Amino acid sequence: MADWDGRGLPPVAAERVRRAAAGGAWTSLLTAPAAFGLTDAGFDPVGEVMGSIVQRIGWAGYRGCGYTGWGAFSDGSVPTITSSDRQRFAGFGPYVAALDHGYATAMDRMAQEASAIGADGVVGVTVSQDHMEGGTREFTALGTAVRARSRTRPARVFGTALAATDVAKLLRAGWMPTDLVFGISVAIRHDDWATRQQTSWGAGNVEVTGYTELVTHARADARQRFAAHVRATGAEGAIVSSMGLRTWEIEPGENHRDHVAEATVFGTSLVRFHAGPAVPTRSLTYLPLR
Amino acid sequence: MTADPTEQRIPDDAMRRLAEMRPGQSTSLFTSDLSVNEFLLVREAGFRPLGLVLGSSIYHVGFQMGRWNKNQELTVLSQAMYHARELAMTRMEAEADQLGADGIVGVRLDIEFKEFGSDLAEFIAVGTAVKADEPTTPDGHSWRNNKNQPFTSDLSGQDFWTLIQAGYAPLGMTMGSCVYHIAHQRFWQAMGNIGQNVELPQFTEALYDARELAMSRMQTEAEQLHAEGIVGVQLLSHGHRWGGHTTEFFAIGTAVRPLRPDHRIPTPQLVLPLTDR
Repeated sequence: MADWDGRGLPPVAAERVRRAAAGGAWTSLLTAPAAFGLTDAGFDPVGEVMGSIVQRIGWAGYRGCGYTGWGAFSDGSVPTITSSDRQRFAGFGPYVAALDHGYATAMDRMAQEASAIGADGVVGVTVSQDHMEGGTREFTALGTAVRARSRTRPARVFGTALAATDVAKLLRAGWMPTDLVFGISVAIRHDDWATRQQTSWGAGNVEVTGYTELVTHARADARQRFAAHVRATGAEGAIVSSMGLRTWEIEPGENHRDHVAEATVFGTSLVRFHAGPAVPTRSLTYLPLR
Repeated sequence: MTADPTEQRIPDDAMRRLAEMRPGQSTSLFTSDLSVNEFLLVREAGFRPLGLVLGSSIYHVGFQMGRWNKNQELTVLSQAMYHARELAMTRMEAEADQLGADGIVGVRLDIEFKEFGSDLAEFIAVGTAVKADEPTTPDGHSWRNNKNQPFTSDLSGQDFWTLIQAGYAPLGMTMGSCVYHIAHQRFWQAMGNIGQNVELPQFTEALYDARELAMSRMQTEAEQLHAEGIVGVQLLSHGHRWGGHTTEFFAIGTAVRPLRPDHRIPTPQLVLPLTDR
């Protein structure tokens, strides 16, 4: 077998796509209500599609908080550095760039498979990250490709993490999911005198302002990146499906600890296609007899 | 939901809209923390989501020694639990205020104890800021509450829809907290009821007291908002990390006011679901 150069799809995936495009049995990850809901809204399942990339993250960025004693505020505290800050010797910029690349490539390969079998979009996408040995990670995206019973074709394949039942509900209400969007940020902050004071045993009831600032900056940056991603797709808005925060401490120098926070936001961007001001759906109040 | 998909020409219009999309064209953009059901119901109730709003505070909870054999409130801890939540909530409200929101729906209030310090916890409030399509309520008031802050509600989108349908408007989330130390039994007391099925009046009383304190604090907050009542009240007890005899009793609910005198909703249709769950 010839070695694959990393462009397009891996040979086995290309072969599976060729088989699927040639006809034969289709596969899907849909539940029965989901399949019915989609079909009713004018979409047919085409097949199950996947995208994957194995990536080594060797360089996470210089693991320091950027603390030099210079640039500190007058009260001796130092600013939080997020991965979006353009600082060469601090922050986790390269690490976040590697995560962005991993997720984006997995989703892009999934979209290539979908478009190769004539689909218009992928619903119910799950994206995941698996840690393998030696700083290597696999990013995967898995979903069900669908095709619209329509004469117009979208310019690119749409994708959503929403379940097909949710997609059907949105469509009936005049909204179309467009892309799976995400924002990731890692922030680091030097533990200064105030932080150590506020976390000491006898501090009493007090907010630890430094840590609050750290997580607030990490989340704010992740949300900004999320919004920028939504804006870049051309959508009108997004619904967030999951928001995560992980914090840990590192020891950059002897007897000193700094804290790091990683914030993630995942969601689906939406566009509205019903023209009128009134919502086309009306809810029925009912009481299930179960 | 009812709507005829063929009448709406769903796939055609949806695909055309996708084909028309241009990157970066929209100037105002919303984000929301709602599920699809909630998103659609909030829209149907006449509200537009403006953005996900969030407030957070990492708090060092002080230390207080309870007398081993005495029922008592641990006021230092009660104050910490309340103050930290209030910080998170106020920050969330400030974000919503900046967006020009009328209210915040689907608020989640979480506490997470951090690994890097035994007395450190993150208090976080997350919700979706919304703006009403109609600038005033049906009875001519602002949607904001009497403190001119956006209303807050921890009700789900489904409950929010039902509340508005039934002619009520949320005013704000109200909460009360009480951290209580329940006395240990004295030796002779414990010896006296070995092998017996008896009530431990001391314990019963302690739990009553603690819950009462939490609930009355919540009610005071509702009175300050001039609420008619509080809906969706949850009365929770958290052990957190304080050991078996120290418990936080936490009452939380959404204070509401009437929008119209009658509160009738259409009689629900009875349905027989075909699913086995």
